Formats: sequence, C-alpha cells, structure tokens
Amino acid sequence: MTAAEYGRRRAAGGGLHGMKAAALSLDGVRVNNLDYYREDLSLLLAEIKPGLAVLPAHTSLLLCASAGELTETRSFGGAFREFRPKAAQWNERFLALHGALAGELGIYLVAGTTLEIEGGRCYHTAYCFGPGGELCGRQRQTHLSREERELGLSRGVELDLIDLGGIKMGLVVATDARHPEVGRILALQGAGILAHTGALERSANTLAQQLAGMWAQVQQNECWGVEAQLSRVFCGRDFHARCAVLGPCVTAADLSGYLSHTGGGEQCAAARLKEEDRRRAGESFPALRMLNPAAYKGNLL
Amino acid sequence: MALNGWKERLFRRYLFWICRPSRVKKHLAGRIESRRALPPLDGRKVRAAALQLEARLFKNPLDYVDAMHRRAREAAAAGVHLAVFPEYNNLPLLGILPGVEQAGEAAEAAGGAENGGAKGPVISLEDVIHYVSPVLKPLVHATFSTLAEAYGLYLMAGSFLLSEDGTVRNRAFLYGPDGRLIGSQDKAHLMPAEEQFNVTRGDHFEAFETGLGKLALPVCMDASYFETFRILEKMGVEIALLPIANAEPYNYWLALRGIWPRLQESPLYGVKSALVGRVPGFYFTGRAGIFAPMELTPDGSGVLAEVASSEAEGMAVAELDLDALQALRQNHPWRDRNRALYARYFPAIYEQIPG
Repeated sequence: MTAAEYGRRRAAGGGLHGMKAAALSLDGVRVNNLDYYREDLSLLLAEIKPGLAVLPAHTSLLLCASAGELTETRSFGGAFREFRPKAAQWNERFLALHGALAGELGIYLVAGTTLEIEGGRCYHTAYCFGPGGELCGRQRQTHLSREERELGLSRGVELDLIDLGGIKMGLVVATDARHPEVGRILALQGAGILAHTGALERSANTLAQQLAGMWAQVQQNECWGVEAQLSRVFCGRDFHARCAVLGPCVTAADLSGYLSHTGGGEQCAAARLKEEDRRRAGESFPALRMLNPAAYKGNLL
Repeated sequence: MALNGWKERLFRRYLFWICRPSRVKKHLAGRIESRRALPPLDGRKVRAAALQLEARLFKNPLDYVDAMHRRAREAAAAGVHLAVFPEYNNLPLLGILPGVEQAGEAAEAAGGAENGGAKGPVISLEDVIHYVSPVLKPLVHATFSTLAEAYGLYLMAGSFLLSEDGTVRNRAFLYGPDGRLIGSQDKAHLMPAEEQFNVTRGDHFEAFETGLGKLALPVCMDASYFETFRILEKMGVEIALLPIANAEPYNYWLALRGIWPRLQESPLYGVKSALVGRVPGFYFTGRAGIFAPMELTPDGSGVLAEVASSEAEGMAVAELDLDALQALRQNHPWRDRNRALYARYFPAIYEQIPG
C-alpha cells in the first residue's frame, strides 16, 4: 500500500465512524512568514486529526500581503491589483506548501483560494490536495460580485467533483455560496460534501448571510457542508464569520443542521460525517427525489 | 364511502344543497356589515396580511364560511390590499362528512394521516377528496369571491385538495377585489405523503399581473426549491404568496428551509400563511410571516413581520415597497448570472435525480 493509498483510506474514514471534517478560520495562525504559517497550521491539524480540512478564501493574498510581499496593503482592492501580476510566481510557493502539508499529514486539504492566471484571464480559484500531497482538484469561482467583476476577475464555467475515496466533494468558492445553482449542479453530479472557502466581512447580519448561503445549499441538496470562513483583519477589511460543519437539519441533535461551529473563540469547527445519518436524512426529507424538472423546462437558463 | 345506491345519491344531493353557492352568498350578505373598496396605493407600496388559521373540522359549512369571513374582515380592518390564506384550506370542510372525525382518529392511531395512516382500511383521503370535491369547489369559490369583493381585497384563498380528471391536485386560488377569480396554481413539489395520496403535481408556474404588481402562488414545498423562485423572478414576479400546512412539531430550523432563503437567492417579497393546530389525523404548526431580501429589511434580517405563536391563530402585516425591490434587482451588490455555466449543465443535470 502506498502512502497516498493509506492516507486516502484514513482520510475517508469510512464505515460507521465517517470522515472527520474541519473548517478553519486561520484565526491565531501566524501569517507573516510562510514557515511560521506552515508550523502553526501543521500543529493545529495534527491536533484536530481531520480526514478533510478546508481553509477559507483569500489565503494566498493574505499570506502574500502579510509576508511583506505587497506594498499597497491599505485597501483590499489595491492589494488585489498589486497581487495579480505576482500571483503566478507566488502560487508556486503557496501550492507547494499546502501540497506538502497535506502529504505530511495524510489528509485532504482545501488550501483556500488564490488568483489563477490563464490565457490572459484571472480567476479566483480554490485548490485541493490529497493525502499523498498530490493536487487532486481545483475550482474556479463561477459567480462574481460587482466588486469582483470590477477587479477584473473572470467566471469559471465548470463544476467538477473530487473523489475523496468513497465520497465525492464539490468546492464552492466565495460568492458561489449565495448562488444555489452551484450546489444543485454539484449535488446532482453526486457530491456528498460541499466544501466552501469563504470570506465575509463582519456585519450585523453576517449569520443571516451564512444561513442564506451554505446552510441553505446543504438543506436543498441533502449533503454535508464544510464552511471555512476567514477570521482576520487585513488590507483594510475585517473578515469575520462562523466556520461550520453542516448537514441536513435532522443530522444535528437540535435539528439546526449545525454539527459544529465556531463562535466562542475556536480556531476551527470539526465533526464526523456519518453517511448513514445523511442517508436517513434523505429518507425523511427527500428533497432531490422530489425535484420536478418538467416544471423547469428551459426556464433556468 | 360506505353508502351506495340511492342512499349515496340522496346524501350527495344533501351535500350539494347545504353547500350551494346561493346559500353561502345569502349567508354572507346578512353578515357583512360594511363593505370596503380597495385602498389606494401609496406609490407602489403594498400592504399585505399573512393569516395563520387554526385547523378544525366544521360540521356546518356555514361555520366555515363564518370563520373565513372573520379573518378576511380582520385583514381588511388592518388596511391591507392583499390577504393570504393557508394550504389545505378545505380540510376543515371535510367535517361535513359523517364519520370523517372518527376516520381521522383511526388514522392518527395508525401513525397520522400525514404519514399515510389515512390510507388504511377505514377511509382514504384520496377517496374522500374525489367524493366531496364537486361539492366543495362551488362553496369555496362563492366564499372567497364574495369576501374579496365585499372587502376590496386581493385575496389568495389558500390551497385546496381538489379532484380533477380523476386525479387530486393541491391548487391555490387568487381572487381580485372585484370578486373575479384571477388564476390558480397547482403545487409543483409534493411531500412524500401527498405522493401516497396520489396528488398530481403541477408542471408549470404561473404569474399574474394585478393592480398590486405581479403575483405568484407557489404552494408550501415549492419554496424548498430555488428553481421555483428563479423561474418566478424571471417571469417578473414581485410578490410570492405561499400557503403552508406543515404536519410536524414546530422547529425553527426545519421551518427555515422554506421561503426565507428563497427570497435571499431570488429577490422577491414573500407572504407566507400557515394552517396550525390539530384535526384528527393531523397536527399542523407554522408561523405565518412576511419576508423580504435582507437588503430590504431595516434590521437586515429578511423578516418584516411574523406571527409569534406556531400553534395559535394570528396575522402578520407589513408594507412591501415594490420600487425598492426593483431598484435592488437592478443594482444588486453580489448577484450574478453565469449563463455559460447553466447552459453546460441545465437541463441535462436533472436526469441525475436519484430514486
């Protein structure tokens, strides 16, 4: 058995115990130096022992800006524009670091997001590494906010699944969480987990925004959700929202759908995803089976 | 039904007689004390009422008419242009059938009608609907048409289990302030229990241009699917009138799976009415309310008004600013459409539906 195969089996967990999934906020993780970052993240993940760990959005920009590689860090837009031409080179280090970390810990690691430049276009993209350290999937953000369009980002036009060795996962990048087409396309292709790399600014109704986002996508699609939200102040913005591991309502003891969430100063939310629970939830509220495509016809284009 | 032959025919004629529209209209004429015209609109601001009705079986159909009248009058007194009644709003009328209460109790003992208990050997809800539907349709129409006209209301009468072409439909009706039937909508997404009752689902959504703006009538579970509200938004609908009747103990999170997130995904206003309480075989809970995109509520909650109790009667009233809705749609901070993505996956992706 190769190390990758061993890691895959360990990560998937399988059986009655299920895979342990963790959503991290990066709160308290040192980001001003890539070595410190790797050390802190490695210690944290070794303690949690997840099979799947998901980091929030803007990890790459956060690390680049915090490491002193950017000069225009007073505004998010300014930092973004300065980062764009440097992204390809920075990504070599960013991706290598997370690939090595995934391999070292034998886990699936969604490394958050960076800017991907291809064919003169710029995409906001999440990357996932497997337990052998290999790149096993990436996902471009498919829906853009007005600000993201003004910053020159392009939309991805594909939604693919990543096989975690027994259960399939789709990545939901940033604002895609508020567009239910994304979760539906992924779920109908067979996704059992929606992993979200998010970054919401602190506001009076942040939780309501999250309920309208990943929580709603999970409930509509009978799947698990691993929602990583950035908790940092950088480049003039205060990002702060709840990290959570979500399931169909009835998989949580209080029927909230929250298997675990941050809110009391924790650095991550973690929980085991038991497929038997999800199957039972689908029987009690078979949302996908009761879809009515005849009523949609061509009206969703 | 246990009756057959001439007894059955005689009993059916009796039901038609006690439910005849002329009797309903005469009854209401004697009770409507002051008529009201539709209040003028302040710009494009619509005042709406979401009604929460307590379920009970009425042995006398005129008691049902009185109950609907009382709620319509309350809504009119609150100065609304629009009032919304709940799902299964003909269920209370099944009380006119002798033995229904006992059959419901038997079904409840067998696990509740909503869990299929009513399909036991005593009586099936499907058979009851086929039997009684021709009697109740004219009564329902006479009741809500008269009330809408008398109180100058756009009145969504709720949804009704009806027999049509040998199948059962869960159909919502909208009446205008002139008493005219504006249109109807068949529920398109069913609960598993409705599948067991052989309810036939609708295969399209309707939008109705009215003096209040463009309205639609999705029914209960239709609000658990983003597809419904995407289509309504595309049709230009501004207010969705949603009747519900949830046959389960109330839980905030379970209830949250309905209209609220749909309005955040597709900017519309939503007026949700609820049937609550117990009738034999069913235990309904819910909280009627008026909801909006978060950006259009002062506290950012997406809730404009909501009935406090999940088991008692109530009414939620709020004003809906349709100009503000249009402005939000035209200048939304984060919404986007990715037509290349949708064209790649829709509609073929729906062939993957499990089961």
